[in-house]
Amino acid sequence: MIYAIMYGLTVGAVLYLISVGFSLTFGTMRVINFAHTITYTLGAYLLIASIRSLGVPFFWGGAVGVAVAALAGYGIERFVIRRLYGESLDYTFIATYAVFLIGVDIVKWLWGVFPKPVSDPLGKTVDILGFVFPTYRLLVILLAIVVFFGLELFMRKTMVGKIIVAALDNREGVRCLGIGVEKYFSLAFVLGSALAALGGVLYAPITAVHPYMGSHILLLCFAVVLTGGLGNLRGTFLASFALGMLISITGRYWPAGSEIVAFIAMAAVLLARPIEA
Amino acid sequence: MLQVAGIDVAYGHAKVLHDVSLDLEEGKMLFVVGRNGAGKTTLLRTIMGLLRPLKGSIYFDGGDITGLPPEQLYHRGIRYVTQDKKVFGSLTVRENIEIAAYSSGEPLSQALDKVLEIYPKMKDFLNLKAGQLSGGQRQILLIGQAMVGNPRLLLVDEPTQGLAAIVINEIARILKHLKGRLSAVVVEQNLPLVSQLADRVVVLKEGKVTQVLDDASEICNTSLLEKAL
Repeated sequence: MIYAIMYGLTVGAVLYLISVGFSLTFGTMRVINFAHTITYTLGAYLLIASIRSLGVPFFWGGAVGVAVAALAGYGIERFVIRRLYGESLDYTFIATYAVFLIGVDIVKWLWGVFPKPVSDPLGKTVDILGFVFPTYRLLVILLAIVVFFGLELFMRKTMVGKIIVAALDNREGVRCLGIGVEKYFSLAFVLGSALAALGGVLYAPITAVHPYMGSHILLLCFAVVLTGGLGNLRGTFLASFALGMLISITGRYWPAGSEIVAFIAMAAVLLARPIEA
Repeated sequence: MLQVAGIDVAYGHAKVLHDVSLDLEEGKMLFVVGRNGAGKTTLLRTIMGLLRPLKGSIYFDGGDITGLPPEQLYHRGIRYVTQDKKVFGSLTVRENIEIAAYSSGEPLSQALDKVLEIYPKMKDFLNLKAGQLSGGQRQILLIGQAMVGNPRLLLVDEPTQGLAAIVINEIARILKHLKGRLSAVVVEQNLPLVSQLADRVVVLKEGKVTQVLDDASEICNTSLLEKAL
């Protein structure tokens, strides 16, 4: 059971890193971005490519993965998403899903369809009260917590962060105060893409890296963001870990239903707290 | 100072404003009255650049501002206080004012002074989340936020709607305080308040201007205003 909890916390940490960008982009731009998890996939593949082709260590490979995926995120925002601000959600569904499919095909074209393994970069374990945990997983959980507090600080203490928070509350109100929201949206988008890529980098040694890894996690991100509240960054953090634990603990007793419970939980939350139109 | 010249505005195929014109002189307060659905909010949103007219033009200080976005209009001195009392609820009152100060380039201390000048009690709420304020306090915060920078034209949408009598008196006091200092277009259904403050009243009915009252004796006569609706 303790190991299931540990796995749940790891899944929760990765879910948080990916979902927070998803939540940010919906909260500020009112765009449901299906292309979001392509940066997660890209982060993982660029890590592998950097390690294997350039021979760099895991840390630097991860940095390359996050930086290039963030750049790709900027390209997606600049050339696709920016044209969709204020448009019907249907258009954003279609356009961003198209970007996602194109991204998956580019990954298949560049790196093939077969799963690629990545070894644990630390390869060490920690003994806590007789339970042995991989140090790497503890590091992933710790990093997610650091990102959460870092993001909280950024949003609360910097003017850019405050404007993004204000736009989450009332985008039109920000515009009527003479502030062009587009550049802040771009920043939120790039930040979200970078965090999703970081999720891909960190999850690579735990799961199989394959071209469709993004589509698999996308649905879970939906569940997290809807459970935590669209645009609610603290809610996203709590929901990520709650659903991660739920998936892991259910998987221990009912493996087939491990992910279904995340959607049951989401449905229950939506029944109790419907999304405002 | 502000001229709205024959604008038509529609939401999709539904035309809401038909050939609406109005004129506002510097330092005056123009009130727009009308029943629900008459197009009053649509008129303010169009002046603020949140909606684009199908035809007609809007001039401010002699320049054509038709279709300019709200971001640009703010920096020309136009401020919009919306009907929904939507403050930035996740931020503190101070941060709400800080954002306006940042945008207008005014030092925060000066911006805070402006807000406290119109409502000194706000000092007690500066560190409170704006979402925790009452409806009236939110309204006052939004008016205070609009005072930051160099406002020249204030667009206020139903400032007293849904508020208790005591708060309405406070808002009336603030609007009186602002009268003569800047120009304003105020949408309001509270006719006694209109008769106290208006220099001109425009009556909107089903998207059309049906009457313009300039004469002080007419404006002070609330039963005449009631009839005009």
